[in-house]
Amino acid sequence: MRKPYVRPMPGTWYLHTWAYRLFMIREVTSVFIAAYLVFLLVWLYRLGQGPEQFEAMLRATRSPLSVVLHVLALAAALYHSCTWFNLTPKVMPVRVGEERLPDLLVAVAMGYFPWIVLSGLLVWGALR
Amino acid sequence: MPDQQVTLSVFRYRPGQDAEPVFQEYQVPYHDDWVVLDALNWIKESVDGTLAYRWSCRMGVCGSCGMMVNGVPRLTCAAFLREYYPAPIRVEPLANFPVERDLIIDLDGFLEKLKSVKPWVIRDGVDSATNGEYLQTPGQLARFKQYSMCINCMLCYAACPVVGLETNFIGPAALALALRYNLDSRDQGNAQRQQLLGSDEGAMACTFVGECTTVCPKNVDPAGAVQQEKVLAVNDWYYNVLVPWGKR
Amino acid sequence: MSRSNEAFWWSLFSAGGVMSALFIPVFIVLSSFLIPFAGSQSDETRYDHLVHAVSFWPVRLVLLVVLALCFFHCAHRIRHVVTTVGLRISDGLLAVVCYGAALAGAIATVFVLARL
Repeated sequence: MRKPYVRPMPGTWYLHTWAYRLFMIREVTSVFIAAYLVFLLVWLYRLGQGPEQFEAMLRATRSPLSVVLHVLALAAALYHSCTWFNLTPKVMPVRVGEERLPDLLVAVAMGYFPWIVLSGLLVWGALR
Repeated sequence: MPDQQVTLSVFRYRPGQDAEPVFQEYQVPYHDDWVVLDALNWIKESVDGTLAYRWSCRMGVCGSCGMMVNGVPRLTCAAFLREYYPAPIRVEPLANFPVERDLIIDLDGFLEKLKSVKPWVIRDGVDSATNGEYLQTPGQLARFKQYSMCINCMLCYAACPVVGLETNFIGPAALALALRYNLDSRDQGNAQRQQLLGSDEGAMACTFVGECTTVCPKNVDPAGAVQQEKVLAVNDWYYNVLVPWGKR
Repeated sequence: MSRSNEAFWWSLFSAGGVMSALFIPVFIVLSSFLIPFAGSQSDETRYDHLVHAVSFWPVRLVLLVVLALCFFHCAHRIRHVVTTVGLRISDGLLAVVCYGAALAGAIATVFVLARL
């Protein structure tokens, strides 16, 4: 007789292997990035409100709690960036003629390199 | 040297006899050139003939012997005892499938999903035999060859959490198979596959965990195939929105 | 089977993923470390320089596009985290909440950038 047994999927499946855990960490970086986006909007808003308001904003940003939160946000953002660039060649394989370019080359050329150049330009533009 | 042994903890389920599955332990002789399948065959031949499981080629090409070994989807003909010895080895049926009996899963759903992507060369019209065979360059073959290497072992379905969460998700192997035909220069059927691929049960349900590619014994890279299909679905969506009269 | 719009949302997620990968780390470093802790410039010149930098409309346009796409990227990912974690929230409601929040974020960005 047939009586198939269906094993229930555990609610905490994403904790069961390292691969699943890293996947969930990658996805949860979006929460940190979203929180930072809200902060950035407030930051830009204060910038438009005048030097005193902006300076008050910067003072709050220098607080220990703010520093800790932003270090976490930066860690999350960096993990997102690295995982994103590493996966880009899988999403959009680059073919030259009939050859598929190596994933590492595409990740660096289409991801890491423009990232570093852009970041450098923005730092230079904001701080000079 | 005294005969070494290794413990296999094997998932047992006998419909009509067991309300719930149980684990049965067997002490199996350890040989450093044995695979888990050898251990299962030894159990069935020498100790417990009631143990039910699938296997065939014992060399990693038929895709029959896929099971969970210590929680990881493996071909049991490719999982050596020495990778685990002396720790006990837990053998279970492939995850995300209903269990028929012991280590045997119900794969009807999987076969339906494979069929649903129309895995054959689709031509616009009827080709005359007098035109001769289709011509294909090595480069054209190289475009899809990787995705044709699938042996339907279903390890990717066991590894994919979306398959576990979403019963109707077509799944990695079926999607890789669809891409295999979409990329085949002889095939003209992309449009016929597109609605399914771009649907909520198709490529779009994937969240790129990537474990399907990690466990694949044939380097098919189903995760990569699914991501490429997401891009194709996006192109198709925008085309249909911006060119609604262009029937596709 | 009605045509799914999932591909559209994924396209926003994907574009936003590129934007957030390229821009967010340096934004964090600038907004929360380099600028607040910069000792070299006086407050006035630093403030004036920043205001001047964002006064160009192409700069504001780029900021708008980048931030709006980032909002939609996060919304899409959070939507999927909620469903895969097993929280029993209706799909339609979840989508409205997530993408609605992203839209609100994008609109807020328009207002903030317009007032700069």
